[in-house]
Amino acid sequence: MSIPGLGQIPSQPAAPTTRTITLQPFWEWRFEVPHTLNTSSSSAPISTTITSSSSSGSAASANTPTVRLVSGTAERDGTELAQNRAYALPRNCKSKILTYTGAVLEVAGPACDGYVARCAAPQDSPQLAVLNLHFALRARRQAASAAAAAAAAGHDTGGGGGKASVAAAPSPVPGPRVMVCGPPGSGKTTVVRTLAALATRAGAQPLVANVDPAEGLLALPGTVSAAVFGTVMDVEDAAGGFGVSATPSSGPSAVPVKLPIVYYFGREKVEHDAPLWRDLTAKLASSVRARFAADEAVRETGLLLDTPGVTVAKADMEMLLHAVREFAVNIVVVMGSAGIHAELQRRLENEKTTHGEAITLVLLEKSDGVAERDKEFMKFAREAAIKEYFFGDAKRTLSPFTQSVSFDDVAIFKTPDETDFYDVPQGLEPAEISAEMSHWTLAVMNASVNDPPETIQQAPVMGFVAVADVDEDRRRLKILSPVSGRLGNRPMVWGRWPEPYINLVG
Amino acid sequence: MADNAADVAEDYRQALEDLTVNSRIEIATLTNIARENANHGFAIAEVLQNHIKKAPPTRTLPALYVLDSIVKNVPTPYALYFGPKLYSIFMGAYTKVDNATRRKMEEMLKTWKEPVPGSISTKPVFPIEQVRPIENALMAARNAAFAAHQSSYQGQQQLMRGRQPVPSRDTPTPPTGRPYQPPPQQPLYPGPNGHQPDAAPTPQPYPAHPVSGPPHAIPHRATPQPAPSAGPYPPYPQPASGPVYGAAPQPGISIDKLKDDIQQLIIVEKAEFAKDPLDTSKQTRLKALLDLQTIIQSQDMPQDQLMIIRDRVAELAVNIRPQPPAAVTAAAAGPAALTAPSTAYPGVPYTVTPTPPVVSQQPAPVPPAAAAPPPTAAGKGGVSIDSIFGQGALATLLSVAARKSATPQQRTPTPQHPPPPPPPPALPALGPAAAAAIAAALRSPPPQTSAQPARPVAAAAPPPPPSDPSALLAMLRQSGLIKSDATPTPPPPGRFQSLAGVVAEGGIELKAASLKIFRPELIAQLHEELGPPCTHCGRRFRTDDEGRRKKTAHMDWHFRVHQRTAEAEKRGQHRSWYVDELVSPGPSPTLPPLYR
Repeated sequence: MSIPGLGQIPSQPAAPTTRTITLQPFWEWRFEVPHTLNTSSSSAPISTTITSSSSSGSAASANTPTVRLVSGTAERDGTELAQNRAYALPRNCKSKILTYTGAVLEVAGPACDGYVARCAAPQDSPQLAVLNLHFALRARRQAASAAAAAAAAGHDTGGGGGKASVAAAPSPVPGPRVMVCGPPGSGKTTVVRTLAALATRAGAQPLVANVDPAEGLLALPGTVSAAVFGTVMDVEDAAGGFGVSATPSSGPSAVPVKLPIVYYFGREKVEHDAPLWRDLTAKLASSVRARFAADEAVRETGLLLDTPGVTVAKADMEMLLHAVREFAVNIVVVMGSAGIHAELQRRLENEKTTHGEAITLVLLEKSDGVAERDKEFMKFAREAAIKEYFFGDAKRTLSPFTQSVSFDDVAIFKTPDETDFYDVPQGLEPAEISAEMSHWTLAVMNASVNDPPETIQQAPVMGFVAVADVDEDRRRLKILSPVSGRLGNRPMVWGRWPEPYINLVG
Repeated sequence: MADNAADVAEDYRQALEDLTVNSRIEIATLTNIARENANHGFAIAEVLQNHIKKAPPTRTLPALYVLDSIVKNVPTPYALYFGPKLYSIFMGAYTKVDNATRRKMEEMLKTWKEPVPGSISTKPVFPIEQVRPIENALMAARNAAFAAHQSSYQGQQQLMRGRQPVPSRDTPTPPTGRPYQPPPQQPLYPGPNGHQPDAAPTPQPYPAHPVSGPPHAIPHRATPQPAPSAGPYPPYPQPASGPVYGAAPQPGISIDKLKDDIQQLIIVEKAEFAKDPLDTSKQTRLKALLDLQTIIQSQDMPQDQLMIIRDRVAELAVNIRPQPPAAVTAAAAGPAALTAPSTAYPGVPYTVTPTPPVVSQQPAPVPPAAAAPPPTAAGKGGVSIDSIFGQGALATLLSVAARKSATPQQRTPTPQHPPPPPPPPALPALGPAAAAAIAAALRSPPPQTSAQPARPVAAAAPPPPPSDPSALLAMLRQSGLIKSDATPTPPPPGRFQSLAGVVAEGGIELKAASLKIFRPELIAQLHEELGPPCTHCGRRFRTDDEGRRKKTAHMDWHFRVHQRTAEAEKRGQHRSWYVDELVSPGPSPTLPPLYR
């Protein structure tokens, strides 16, 4: 019998681009999507599956490879995939899809490199340690929660003085503050992301902070930042939810946005301006403490801190120790370097946090799946971040504003030119606007143009603008800004990182 | 007069246009308008029919509910008007909507074969001659989809886009050829108006067996949700829809039924035992069951705890019954079980079909893989709590003891997850490992966690030797099933009590060696125990009250975002400035609704 619209199920052979990947528990499908995939439609919004309603799948798969969880459970860096939803794999992305229970994936669209990493037993999987680490942290979070509850109860019964006694109480010890460190390219950020996603999944609200200026967390590179992650992370983001596309825009977002606080460092490496990095880290840490004090749920969940890649060199160790002290880190996770582990162990042996806890060090193996990220990859990732910041991503097209302003109507600062000595007092000086500034992104600071330079330098970042063009003859700047309105009353800082992005406009 | 009818029709059409969501009030209003204008009924019926035909897929279901409401409340004349066209209306809509909606439509269809609930009339809503062709068509469609399981990707894409009928969770007719069964006699449609929003027909699995849980009236919310799960094992009382909906009082859990089940199990076990009297594992298992029976008969237990027992018994039943084939299937390991669903139903959205398809389609509880307790433990002959009451049972009961108010159902093997637990080869030492983990959980807590509410309870329990048959009794006592006078009262649960079971993580030390130990029982804490996932983003929500509240808010958020995205795209949007402090305004840990 004929069924209207239902019958005639096509039986032609499967399209060659579709393949099914079967994963057993703790297997990973590691994939790489090259950035060259985009041909012409770079800025055109690719319609991705936001809901399970019509027009999903095929449209997106024309341009980007998609992955669909057919059965089982699977996750990307801790964030679970919904079944039967076609996820567009982001371009310029090397990541993995992992399952704890077994899964069948279906990959469609243009070919992307990928292989299945098998393991004979869960014990062989590098993910197992991360998973156990999560559960260990969860136990500590529960302990923090219980301790806080007990303290509160004790004060309620003992004090009887209402608010006065609460105020007098010592602030409860936050949940675990975890710093993840290791050599460059050891999977630090991935571990932080995974731990954050797992915590979020269990209903906790971790504070995630990044003090590695080479890559940004919810911000452009060249910044240090922190945000509370209480909601699901974007698995379609190349940075797995840590990219700028997860920050708010004027419209709705298909993936819940995160609200970071951002400080502008403006350099790639910490050693380029170590004093400033220390100052900004301290600022960030105090923001974190303030959030802990104000928000019980966040405090009990604690902190996950991502750090720059380090060696055992003294300067690097000092840098990590600074972060440990500033953020009152009580758990240090070292990725795959026994040398760094031993060195930190030695230095932290007799340290106690401000809450009087001993500092625990954990050495985790570097996953054999950590992908090589070459210079080109990183450069493209930075450019993609800048582009996403202004123009949005495949899910959300943004329209930045272009405005032409006179040289005299803007206040742009920069750090003084490089010297051979890193420890000379740095600071900000008014920048001379020239054609050299073209294509750079500037940080708009949440300060007043009349503030002293140190205040400006250590102020939180409001956002970024890009200098599209400099007309020296007419003394006018063409500036691309995310938000309309005058820029003149906010100081802008011209850093040296990320490098200019030539093709941002036009 | 003709003008008047045209006006009414036009007004009605406009009113229908405004019906975008499944709103009970709007549907009731539209029903009333239809009632008051029954003299123009034909025009209204015409308009509604056209609207259903033309409405975009997302709005089709509300429109169908209007039809449903009208024919149930104003059967004369509307049932007469719609009846002859029922097939084309229903099938037209069915072809364009997605699978979740289809299931709702199937549920609605079921109710059409029955009298209107609360009505004196015993006539069904629509005559059976008008409903039957639709059922036949759906069945044919399902079979076609099943037959097409090797179809191409294009086929699957179409399936995904909802162009093909896909058998889904509560499919009445498994494609394995079981004959279509008539729905249960009890009307599933509880509401006076029979609207979905507040009185959803329970997405009941077709009870192939009379002992399957009786239909529950589930309070539904306004947001159309993926319906709760149905139990994977038709012949046994599984956590059907009840447990998923959490701690609401379950009229369905009858202690008698539970007793019956246990009795049946005991009979089976006795037979097993008779076959091999020397097998101590069977002996102890039998003893445990007998003990359980005694407990249940002699004690008056609260519903939630009964539910745990019931679930475990159900699992146990599944495991005991097909022992030899189960072992074989388990030995065949994951891949088969894993790939099977995918080949069977290429396009089925499993997220909204909680029943593991293969499981549900076959009368026998085939994959032990899909059941939480790995049959390996039983097969090895070692009896442990885990082997008797399923993986993590002790943990469950302990955690229940720790927080009695929390929902016990989270330990139930949520059928959300077709994939099996790690295949036996991957975890040869599962039983011991679990036992070790439990023991670890029971170890006296580290100093800093001593204030944790759950700990004292856990610590107070002597770690039961896993192979001790009395462990079950101890466990039940521990969980408060037996009101042992020595049971300490658990302190009020803290915030994190609600986040996850308080099991075993205390045993993980921050040492490289400890971090490398596989603790299989923890895996479920990332999945099933967090509740069923949102079909849009995979975020899981518990099935207790708070979880449901959160899920409702979450689904509302999805809905709003979806609604606003289109308009925002037209208007143009831009990146916002960053916040200047990390401290959110106000102490509320929740973000503004839009950011949820």
